Amino acid sequence: MTNVLEIRGATKSFGDVQALAGASLSLQAGEWLALLGPNGAGKTTLVRAIAGRVRLDGGETTLLGRSLVGNGASRRQLGIVPQEVALFPLLTAAENLRAWGTLCGVEAGDLAERVEWALGWTALGDRSSEPVEGFSGGMKRRLNLACGVLHRPRVVLLDEPTAGVDPQSRERIWEMLEELRSQGASLLLTTHQLDEAQQVADRIAIIDQGRVIEEGTFAELLKRTVGAERRVRFTLARQPTAGVPEGFERLEDGRLELRVESVTQELEHSLRRLREAGCEIVDLEIEVPSLQTVFLHLTGKDLRE
Amino acid sequence: MITTLLSIGWISLKRDRVALLLTFVLPIVFFSIFAVIFSGAGGGGAKEIDLRVLVVDLDQSEVSRALVAKLASQEVLTVSMTREVADQGTEEPWTRESAHQAVRQGEADAALVLPPAMGETFGDFGGEAPEVELIYDASNPMAQFTVSGLLQAASFQSSPQVLMKKGLGMLEKFGGRLTPEQQQAVDFAVPALESGELSGAGAGGLLQIKPTAAHDESDDDQGPMIISYYAAGIGVMFLLFSMTGAAGGLLEEQERGTLERVLSSNVSMGMLLGSRWMFFSALGLVQVLLMFVWGWGVFGLEIWSVKRMSGLLAMSVVTAAAAASFGLVLAAACRSRAQLGGLSTIVVLVMSAVGGSMVPRFVMPDFMGTAAKFTINGWALDGFLKVLWYEDPAATTIEALWGLAPELAVLSALAVAFFVAARRLARRWEVA
Repeated sequence: MTNVLEIRGATKSFGDVQALAGASLSLQAGEWLALLGPNGAGKTTLVRAIAGRVRLDGGETTLLGRSLVGNGASRRQLGIVPQEVALFPLLTAAENLRAWGTLCGVEAGDLAERVEWALGWTALGDRSSEPVEGFSGGMKRRLNLACGVLHRPRVVLLDEPTAGVDPQSRERIWEMLEELRSQGASLLLTTHQLDEAQQVADRIAIIDQGRVIEEGTFAELLKRTVGAERRVRFTLARQPTAGVPEGFERLEDGRLELRVESVTQELEHSLRRLREAGCEIVDLEIEVPSLQTVFLHLTGKDLRE
Repeated sequence: MITTLLSIGWISLKRDRVALLLTFVLPIVFFSIFAVIFSGAGGGGAKEIDLRVLVVDLDQSEVSRALVAKLASQEVLTVSMTREVADQGTEEPWTRESAHQAVRQGEADAALVLPPAMGETFGDFGGEAPEVELIYDASNPMAQFTVSGLLQAASFQSSPQVLMKKGLGMLEKFGGRLTPEQQQAVDFAVPALESGELSGAGAGGLLQIKPTAAHDESDDDQGPMIISYYAAGIGVMFLLFSMTGAAGGLLEEQERGTLERVLSSNVSMGMLLGSRWMFFSALGLVQVLLMFVWGWGVFGLEIWSVKRMSGLLAMSVVTAAAAASFGLVLAAACRSRAQLGGLSTIVVLVMSAVGGSMVPRFVMPDFMGTAAKFTINGWALDGFLKVLWYEDPAATTIEALWGLAPELAVLSALAVAFFVAARRLARRWEVA
């Protein structure tokens, strides 16, 4: 696939603080890439550098094969959806869309059609003439998103697009983004919602201490880090009479744990072995390795702030 | 619990420099300014009055010359008998018209017109006192009353020998001739009075003073002047407040992330600031003009002539432009809306107090008048008062506008300088 966005060896320091230490990243055409990292890892700096709001000390950023530095035409291919609800609160939804559409370079002749599309896309058509300050958090988020993509960008930078919204609004926003991707846009998403990133992203990049330390599909990340094994934990009413069977591990709370490649293939056999060892099983729990497991494995559990 | 809450309050306050300034420094600053204004502290005690008085001597008698000499000896008066003729380098005596015009245009505080034959009737206890016309600037109430008082005092002191002779003449007319001893005493006293060895004194007016306001309004009506003054003064002060408030929107946009998003679009910082400056200037222009229209509608302020409207418009444009740039500078210098609120309150109130928006400058010590030249208010007030009060009826619109050149130039320069400063300060919002 073609890379639409590439960052190579990006470095940036703010005084003594090195925010980026050679970060490299690529986004492919039509791809949904999640950029994850602890607070202070360099996500925002990297996204701001792509958006042209941070001047890199070193490295290169290219969009559609052309450097982004001092290239206004290339930059117009970018859509930016900030984490903040960056709208004009006293303007109506339609007025905001018109304003941002104009600022982002939508031709005057296309503006009405684009605004109409955005109002439908965000399901705000019936509220289009109301000032945004009276909107709910979810409505503002949807409008915030629409304002960033009115000009039909090839690449959309999404910084925490679902922060602070209810599950219904979040679901709606993911649908909107999926729709955007289906129309050909490539999405670069930063988020702390790891479960959602795991669900929606084609690939995941994990950044820490200014570098991208892992990049790939979820399955690839699993394979390269914690492995794809499931952990099956058995709660027992009666412990085995002659020691823990081979392959099982006793946990501190008294439960037994078994790591398996495939639960469906190995669970029945495991249950039989436990019964044969004299165990009475009252419950079992299956832990599937998640993106959070991978994330914590790679970045550690220490607080970063 | 209470201790913890108090502790939080104190820590919050001591870490907020603007709050500290507002809490502790601002009251001291304002106390100091008003103390200086009303006590004259720093200017050598009470305000030193220095009134420029033009004298038109239509009498040219010994009495009128003595009166002028006595007036000229007063420390608080600077008496001028002649004016320089433009382009000729010569001097000519003031005429009533030229003196009236000079007072009207604010070049002098008052003018005295000594009537013909004043010397003949001066000191006639039985006849009518000569009528001296006092032309004054109603914007300076001190001028009228100070000059009137000093004129009366001077009239008693300037020609005591004349008063004595005329008094004795009245006595002889109605009471009979003096005895030889009395005549001898008088013969001794008159030269002594002439030489100043004896001082003259009296009780009662020797001159009738006819006050004439240099402007068209009735003599004791300072209303239009006050309205003009405060329309300009308050107008400029609130213009500054509203401009800083409006410019604070930039800080709100920064906090909301809107500024970052705008700058990520096709808009440059120069473009953003320029557009804001234009918008604020237009807003300020409307605000100031509305103030004058209100003054016309409610208080009868005269604005509807081509000359006045031209002057008002020109002054309003440059004042609004300077105030808009000023607001942008403050906003760009502050880190938050709250900080801007505190700082702008301090700066605008100080500028307004010093510049004359709150207290008329004629009651201030001279050095405060100089300080006013470092404020937007000072220059704006000077310009607006030239239009609304010191207008020369004989001047054409072009001449009147030319008369505003210093104020227009300074305010325009301030607008440019503040905008450049705002642009430099706004670099922090640009690419990191």
